[in-house]
Amino acid sequence: MHPQATHWATHRALCWTVLAAAFGGPVSASTDGGKTSASPAGSVTLIKAAKVILRPGKIEEHTSVLVQDGKIIAIGANLTAPEGAREIEGEVVCAGFIDAWSSFGVDADALRDERVSAASLTTDAWDPYVDERFRLDVLRGGVTSMRVGLAPNAKVGGVGAVVRLHPRISDRRAIVLADACIALGVGITRSSRGLDPFDRLADVDRALGAVGDGWSYLQDKVEYKHELEAWQKTVADKEKELEDGAKKAKKDREKEKGDAEKAGKEFKEKAYKEDKRPKPPRFDDDKEVLARAANGELPVVVEVHRAVELRSFLDGAARYDRTRWILAGASESLPFAKQLADHGITVLVSPTPMGQMRTEEMRDADPSLAGRLSEAGVKVLIGSGMERPLGSRDLALVAQIAIGNGLPREKAFEALTLGAARAFDVADRIGSVEVGKDADLLVLDGEPLLAATRVRYVLSAGDLVITPEN
Amino acid sequence: MIRALALVFALAPSASAQTFGVHASKVYGPDGVVEDATLLVEDGKVRAIARGRDVPAGTAILEHDGALSAGLVAAHSYAGVLQESLDDTRSVLADARIADAFDASSSDLRRALRAGITTIVIAPRPETLVPGVTAVAKTAGGTLLRRDGQLTIALDGRAQRINRAPTSPMGMVAELEARFAKPEGVFATVASGRMPVMIAATQRSEIERALAFARKHHLSGSLLFAPLAGELVPDVQSSGLAIVFAALPIGAESRTIDSVVAIAKAGVPFAFALDVPFDAPDALRISAALARRGGVDPASAMRALTSDAARIAGVGERVGALAKGMDADFVLWSGDPLDLGSRVVAVYVDGVERLGGAR
Repeated sequence: MHPQATHWATHRALCWTVLAAAFGGPVSASTDGGKTSASPAGSVTLIKAAKVILRPGKIEEHTSVLVQDGKIIAIGANLTAPEGAREIEGEVVCAGFIDAWSSFGVDADALRDERVSAASLTTDAWDPYVDERFRLDVLRGGVTSMRVGLAPNAKVGGVGAVVRLHPRISDRRAIVLADACIALGVGITRSSRGLDPFDRLADVDRALGAVGDGWSYLQDKVEYKHELEAWQKTVADKEKELEDGAKKAKKDREKEKGDAEKAGKEFKEKAYKEDKRPKPPRFDDDKEVLARAANGELPVVVEVHRAVELRSFLDGAARYDRTRWILAGASESLPFAKQLADHGITVLVSPTPMGQMRTEEMRDADPSLAGRLSEAGVKVLIGSGMERPLGSRDLALVAQIAIGNGLPREKAFEALTLGAARAFDVADRIGSVEVGKDADLLVLDGEPLLAATRVRYVLSAGDLVITPEN
Repeated sequence: MIRALALVFALAPSASAQTFGVHASKVYGPDGVVEDATLLVEDGKVRAIARGRDVPAGTAILEHDGALSAGLVAAHSYAGVLQESLDDTRSVLADARIADAFDASSSDLRRALRAGITTIVIAPRPETLVPGVTAVAKTAGGTLLRRDGQLTIALDGRAQRINRAPTSPMGMVAELEARFAKPEGVFATVASGRMPVMIAATQRSEIERALAFARKHHLSGSLLFAPLAGELVPDVQSSGLAIVFAALPIGAESRTIDSVVAIAKAGVPFAFALDVPFDAPDALRISAALARRGGVDPASAMRALTSDAARIAGVGERVGALAKGMDADFVLWSGDPLDLGSRVVAVYVDGVERLGGAR
């Protein structure tokens, strides 16, 4: 931001504070026009709407949403604003959109790095201070949070996070979930060099192998746990046995000691086989993460496009029935739609149209993929992709492309809200309008995901960050 | 597909020879959107836009529950010419006509038609100082509307070479000045205002140079690409040039979108290039949707896809609007054409359905 602009904004904010104080008004209720308003903790906002989309398919008409301390604290028709609360009105209120596939705010070098490993954390490369103008642009687009990742070209891309956008929150509150998934890449063209079919199939083995390593590691850990328990039990038993026969044992020991001395031999303490404690598996940070992925604690996002890789990948993935797979991109996944639906595998698509000069694996990408997969019963998510960080700003347009190519509007809305929140385990925090959830809300002047609809207000963690004036 | 084609052929002779109407909930006419109206087509030309179903008795009326607009116009492309669109061994190919390299059966055209694009400008690649003259084609069948479109000039860094002149921006200007000092051939046509230019410029300094050059020689036409033209509005206005922006991708730079908005607000005609096969045909509508969301009013955004693009291409008398006497090239949309959630339902070219029942 321009330094002068900051001064001006500060100056204005100050003026308002002074004014508010002079008229005895509460500071939290003041709006400061052009700038996002600083609402201190304890601020209360009442949103009145003709229609609140509580969650996909569940609508409440003529109702209000009360927000306090960053949370939704009440939803109801007859709510009244407490003293000093800010009141806003709109046609439609819904949850803020979640971009399921984004690189916004991720350090550019981290995006290029292909040497990241499973345990690399995206949050370590996420810049919460990314240019405010861009943050506001994304918020204005209705996107309040996003699933970000590292190194889209890496074979193993590290741990992805769900982050929240807010022009001022640059502390831990910006991170909704630091370990939201692990990302793998299969058959992705790296540094403009295509892969031959053997390299690509080796990628499949590598990806499945990584999860397999995690699985073995997990098994070793479980085995160790059991061994340790068994050992502890045996030791306890032995100790009890020894205690019970302590007198006799002491006598025996002294006798043996005496005998040894007499014979001029060295006395050796009796060795118990129970002394040998089982060894834990060697700690491996990457495998720690991969084990959680294999076990289904973390979803695994696998970017894979071509039918050949998809086929061998799906064959291999069937072994890991606890793993929660999310296929990203999946340009040629349509022939596998039934298999994907049967196994409950989610597909994350980025229905941005592509010219013929794209990398080879994406050449058959088609904006109708989301619609066709959804029709076949596959759970579909939508993301702007990692190619351009500002793609998150255009997430609603990306969803509209999917809609224009056959995805029902409600499915697209679900993909952008609760669907994404559930897939990345943040549905207890965001993705719908429910009491107790974080207040990441959009106030629209019409139905969501229509070109004619404008975003009027955006609340991020309860703070009004976008208003019609800014 | 085969069935669809058969249908087209079966309809072709009869449909073009007769008068028919298409009633739609919204018709994007030359003077704005008309709700509940009928487009009257006669012998492949637009005869009128009638309110309601107010057409001569006995006229067959097709019903469409959605929007109807003029076919979209891409103001720049390499459709059907990619392999033949650049000869950079020489810096000036003034007599080169891209029409001579055009493959009318290219799949680029069919793909564009499916996206609602009925007219497309075919251009030589602006990677040599004067790469030749553009042409204009209809995407249905690849008929050429114009062989002599615009003279392409590249005052763009990509047109410099290290192994032949010009090797620098100064060299480019010097070479051009020499051609315009005593203009001959196509340069004379351009200098006299009978052929527009399309000057490629990407960097801000290149845009400024291009505008200055156009002003000095009173050239008419457009700037190509010029992502930051909106930061130079007074210069653009005094040059009289229109702008053909590169298609805006999802995630386009905010600064570029701001520039498009500034150009639109200043009332400067603009359109979008669709550099197929590099760009997907949908990129044209996405560009307009991004511009609209950035603050361009819907009417200007729509003109950028239709009438303004046609005028910049020099075919504004024939296509780009549903005015009386113009070609009946139109698209039936499921909803607002600027809403990416709308899809192409059918495309008519010269009054003949060339695409229909598309998903």
